[in-house]
Amino acid sequence: MRSYRIYLFTVPAVIVLGAFFVYPILLSGRLSFTDFTGVGVANDVGWKHFERIFTRSRYVDALKVTLLFTLVVVTVQTAAGLFFAAILHRLPAVRNFCRAALFLPAMMSFVIVGYVWQFIYSPFDGALNSLLGALGLGFLAHNWIGDPSTALYALAFTHVWMFVGYTTAIFLAGYAAIPREYDEAARLEGTTGWQRFRHIEVPLLAPSFTINVVLSTIGTLKTFELPFIMTRGGPDGATRTLSLHIIDSLFGKYQFGFASALSIVMLILVVLVAWAQNRVLRARETRLRS
Amino acid sequence: MSASVSRRGRLGRTLLSTLAVALVAVMLLPVLYMVMMSFKSGAEIVRDPLGLPEALYLGNYANALSKMSYARSVANSVGITLSVTLLVSLVGALAAYPLARRTTGLSRALVLLMALGLSTPNFVTITPIYVIFRDLGLLDTYLGLVLAFTALNLPLAVFFYTGFIGSIPIELDEAAKLDNCSDLQVFWHVIRPLLGPATATLSLFVMLNVWNDFTYPLLLLTDEDKFTVMISVYRFVGNHNLSPEDLFPAAVLGSLPLLLLFLIFQRRIVTGVTAGAVK
Repeated sequence: MRSYRIYLFTVPAVIVLGAFFVYPILLSGRLSFTDFTGVGVANDVGWKHFERIFTRSRYVDALKVTLLFTLVVVTVQTAAGLFFAAILHRLPAVRNFCRAALFLPAMMSFVIVGYVWQFIYSPFDGALNSLLGALGLGFLAHNWIGDPSTALYALAFTHVWMFVGYTTAIFLAGYAAIPREYDEAARLEGTTGWQRFRHIEVPLLAPSFTINVVLSTIGTLKTFELPFIMTRGGPDGATRTLSLHIIDSLFGKYQFGFASALSIVMLILVVLVAWAQNRVLRARETRLRS
Repeated sequence: MSASVSRRGRLGRTLLSTLAVALVAVMLLPVLYMVMMSFKSGAEIVRDPLGLPEALYLGNYANALSKMSYARSVANSVGITLSVTLLVSLVGALAAYPLARRTTGLSRALVLLMALGLSTPNFVTITPIYVIFRDLGLLDTYLGLVLAFTALNLPLAVFFYTGFIGSIPIELDEAAKLDNCSDLQVFWHVIRPLLGPATATLSLFVMLNVWNDFTYPLLLLTDEDKFTVMISVYRFVGNHNLSPEDLFPAAVLGSLPLLLLFLIFQRRIVTGVTAGAVK
């Protein structure tokens, strides 16, 4: 038994996580089947909340918005990160400087980034429209986050701007792990830079690819602050994400039961997507390695 | 290879480097814009929305500093951030020690718990945490916020320390055990003193998370005297009819502490965050 005494060291961590992670999830599951509003008894309502989530267009649309936002952000951010890493890998002189500079926006809070970009996109005196005007491209000026057809993409661009440095840094770490001999051997065979990128670097970067996609997906599925600050979910629900609904049902409304049901839907969504990605991307790693 | 080829290669590389730096500079324009705008008066913003400020106008800062109770909120954020950092590194390192040294089923189960904690968005637990905090009287308290942040950051800390302790030779433990040291003594006198670099990197990461977080303080705090910096920025700038004279100085004041931290520790932050992700 002596060997198990050492696990006493984990007790504080287990208590903290038990009380503020495991128990809340269980409580969430329990509350999601009740009409609990904070006072009085919680009545059982069965699957009512879940039926509402999957039949009302308001919530189905929020699921679609959340998934589309994630798809756009993850795709663009991974591609842009790979692009920057592929360039910076070839330029050791400026690599560390550029890596740090790209990383800088991730030091800022969503709140601040949201405010600054809300003003950049503003139709009045906003930087983007002013810049387009100054470049003689005034006809492209647009109410970027006021138009339902562009608002979600404008927010996605801001999100990518914030975290592309993260993705780049992870890809650069992947590049650093590629043995030099591969590159030299390929050069001796007279390959072009594009061929080396496509047939040597991309396959060998598969593990970094997996990490980037899974991490940014988990981070993006819960998107809350940017739409909360920049658009309040508007215009016309175009940026109303699942987490925005969770906070909305808490604030002032105290619909703890319904908010819990939304949380459970989000948990299942994250688990399913992360599991599927892991499966597909790990299989891809194995295939590319052989 | 002839000299001309390598010279052409060098020229191409210089050109490409310049292009890359220019591209990265464009990415930083919004940050530069934020700083520039904070020094312009309202009239100047309307007259010239893009140009450099004519003079360093400080009126916006004076106004923001007096209205957003900046000093008070910075003190709150610093206090909360330091408490969380301390708790997370202590509790995290303690828990990591057995996980790094034993490979039993219990270790695997605990690692799985940490992995779940790491990948579960806090929106999943935020509703019940509100209910639990209300019942425990933790709403609107520093302690409540510190506990919530500790739980949020602990899984990462455990992973981080487990990896780090795993790279410390176990012979050190064994030698100390021969001298009749208990597990706790081994941890405290042999392992803990070696954790400095890991703790430094982890602390920067936790500080970044806690300082910038918006959701927990938004939901858990109502007393203005306890507001963190991000909540004061939010309350000061508001949601309707953004006023650039308020927005930009508040944005600069809110990000300044972390941007300074980044300037000093950028290499440690970038490599640390990357290593944390790759693990």
